[in-house]
Amino acid sequence: MEPDTIAEQVRMCGACPKMCRHVCPTFFAWRSEAPTPHGRALLMHQEITGTREIDERGVEVLYQCLECSHCLTWCKPEIDIATLVEIKRRDLVKSGQQPEAISRLTGLVKKNHNPFGEEHSKRSDWIKTSNSKGSRVLYFTGCTAAYRETGSAQDTVSLLEHLGYSVEIAPDEWCCGSPLIRTGDVDSGFELAKHNAEVLNRTDVEAILVTCPGCYRTLTSDYSEYGHELNKPVQHISEFLRISLDKLPKGKFDGPITFHDPCHLGRHSGIYDAPREVIAAVSGSSVVEMERNKENAMCCGNGAGLRTMFPDHAKKIGDERIRHAKNVDAQYLVTSCPFCKNMLASQSENEITVLDLPEFVMMAEKVHYDKTD
Amino acid sequence: MLDEKTKKKAFERIAAIVGADHITRHKTDQILNAHDAWPLSEAKLRAGEMLPLADLIVFPGTADEVSHVLIVANELKIPVTPVGGGAGTCGGTLPIYGGIQLDLKRLDKITEIDHTSMVVRVQAGVVGIDLEEEVNRYGYTTGHTPTSLRASNIGGFIATRSGGSMSSLYGKIEDLTLGLQVVLPTGSIIESKAVPRHSVGPDLRQLFIGSEGTLGIITEATLRLFPIPEERRFRSISFPDVHSGLEAIRKIFRVGILPSVVRLYDPEDAALSFSMHFEFEEGHCMLLLAFDGDLKKVDIDEKKSVQICLEEGGSDHGEGPSKRWWEHRYDMYYPSRLTTGGYAIGDTIDIVATYDKLENVYHAMKEVMEEEDAIVMSHFSHMYPNGGSIYMIFFTSQPDAETAWATYKRIWDAGVAACHREGGTMSHQHGVGLSRSTYIEDELGSSFNVLKTIKDALDPNGIMNPGKLGLGVRE
Repeated sequence: MEPDTIAEQVRMCGACPKMCRHVCPTFFAWRSEAPTPHGRALLMHQEITGTREIDERGVEVLYQCLECSHCLTWCKPEIDIATLVEIKRRDLVKSGQQPEAISRLTGLVKKNHNPFGEEHSKRSDWIKTSNSKGSRVLYFTGCTAAYRETGSAQDTVSLLEHLGYSVEIAPDEWCCGSPLIRTGDVDSGFELAKHNAEVLNRTDVEAILVTCPGCYRTLTSDYSEYGHELNKPVQHISEFLRISLDKLPKGKFDGPITFHDPCHLGRHSGIYDAPREVIAAVSGSSVVEMERNKENAMCCGNGAGLRTMFPDHAKKIGDERIRHAKNVDAQYLVTSCPFCKNMLASQSENEITVLDLPEFVMMAEKVHYDKTD
Repeated sequence: MLDEKTKKKAFERIAAIVGADHITRHKTDQILNAHDAWPLSEAKLRAGEMLPLADLIVFPGTADEVSHVLIVANELKIPVTPVGGGAGTCGGTLPIYGGIQLDLKRLDKITEIDHTSMVVRVQAGVVGIDLEEEVNRYGYTTGHTPTSLRASNIGGFIATRSGGSMSSLYGKIEDLTLGLQVVLPTGSIIESKAVPRHSVGPDLRQLFIGSEGTLGIITEATLRLFPIPEERRFRSISFPDVHSGLEAIRKIFRVGILPSVVRLYDPEDAALSFSMHFEFEEGHCMLLLAFDGDLKKVDIDEKKSVQICLEEGGSDHGEGPSKRWWEHRYDMYYPSRLTTGGYAIGDTIDIVATYDKLENVYHAMKEVMEEEDAIVMSHFSHMYPNGGSIYMIFFTSQPDAETAWATYKRIWDAGVAACHREGGTMSHQHGVGLSRSTYIEDELGSSFNVLKTIKDALDPNGIMNPGKLGLGVRE
């Protein structure tokens, strides 16, 4: 984005009487004027106009943004604060002003190739594949599924094999780079991108599948933007499953099912219908929508480093999203993101079953077999 | 501004009340709380100016905490500026003398909906849209839909005596508020019982509605609710001039019809708002009407109203312009390249008058404001059986900050003087805050002393929102 455009955008947002603040999840979590789109814009505006430099607290405010872009849904002048914040974070990283927690995160990713500090050698420990002879697809696992949601990862493999595909896992998959790119360290992020692009481009598969929308956005958008083109199509699992609806397992679920739109899948990638169609095909019933859905869906609270830096506030946002699901009497809260699933499940207090989309589909298979055995 | 010793003492004592996480003295937070939606404060920020800052920002979580904070502030004689959504348009939440900014956003609970009595008890920090959406879930509406609904809080509605776009039918916030909880400057918590009417002396509740934080802090309220109407129907009529449009409005109310929306756009405002989307004669005004209720009532009200309009020389434009306004009613509130470029500044003087004076006020204000280099466009809205409000919207763009701020003040001075001269009242719903503070003695005349006496009795140390409503102005 050109500097003049940035200046114009933050000037307008800083002059707004806060028309989007009511949907900002971090406003919800903090209930103060600072962690809001307007607050962030004003800090950037003051720096651009030379009124005041961004101080340590200002940096904190900029890192309190989830980059969920919910504000954009409500912004008539279409000011994309998430992008503006991300651009500003790059400057902060370049000048060494990023918060310590973000530096630690970067260090972990650089050393272990995942943001959790887990051993890289154990990245694919969870996998059990069979010797399917079908078309070859590569499952780009992503860090959350690989280390924190291995059930979802295994279900993804099992599901793809159930559909007749031969599933491969990249021999040396690293973090996709999303956590670093979103928090401002693009140089380190693109080292990961370069590595992954080389690895993925060497594989002999028909398509690359991802379940994590953060990975999906990075692989489909950021990689090409910075010259690391992938030589095969990348698809999100929800879109991939949509083309095989009739082959998916079918099962009867014993309660209403709602769907949480991940920000990177929905607002950032425009995929809203595919997961809903999969859920409907599998369960035989339409999703019961939460009041805030699709473009207006609330973030789960896990994005752009917030849970790393402010875990209590991130969980408060996750709690609220669970409340939204309970408000529509949902018994199953399905999402299509292992990262969202991880946050929402942690806040569900077992009062609602939270599932990533592949888990949901595989659960249908179990329900189906249970009833027919 | 506080001296360091007082600031430190206040910080420690208040942190012990609200918790260390709920008080801040960071300059960044002070700056982000230093303005509201007062166009002059926004324009100054855009121009790179710094506004006066609070020393401490405090986020109480209960009325009890508010009380204890005020006791400390009173003891240390520290100014306290309450702030809700920070969406007021008159600078009422600007901490012009420093001290404490008491941010009420953590008072965010909708306590109880009483279905039998159709009332809701709600804390001051709940955002308007959150309350409206919650009561909608149970089939009700608050009937209070100001343009700032997404940003302003219940406490701010009440503190500024605000009005929504459907006040013709549902009333303003003073009509909608049945009960109040207020923390007085000395720390006492008082309750004004929620009853539909009473005859127990003067209505003290009304003393605090519109007090703009100068007499105490509103922490909770009981508001009326209405069933969501079965039908809301829109109709639009153009008129050759303001006079015929106003005559039609006056006669609609006279036959006992209370439309939910009544907005008459003068030729300039009609051209800007509707000519891009609808065809109507150049130089004509546009009247927007909406009717709420059951189908039968809406049919009758609409038919009668249209008949009156046609008899007054109006031309029917169906539901188009009116419905479009309803669907886009928040759009005007957003900033644009034009309104935020250079030293551009606009504002609205939302006056109110009885029908016998309304037209004269409009012409007089328009004339003098235009003489001061303003583009002026207006609509008559929030209309009632005995009169109504005019939104005198103005805009000016000047080559430098000094000229822009001076022009802005001259437009205000001229507009309010003309309003007073013709018998109007200078605000219908936005309040007084800072922008109208210097005019309040002219507005209230000898009764200003009554307000001042009450202020001195309730707030002997003058800590509450000094400088607003023309009260507690310091050198």
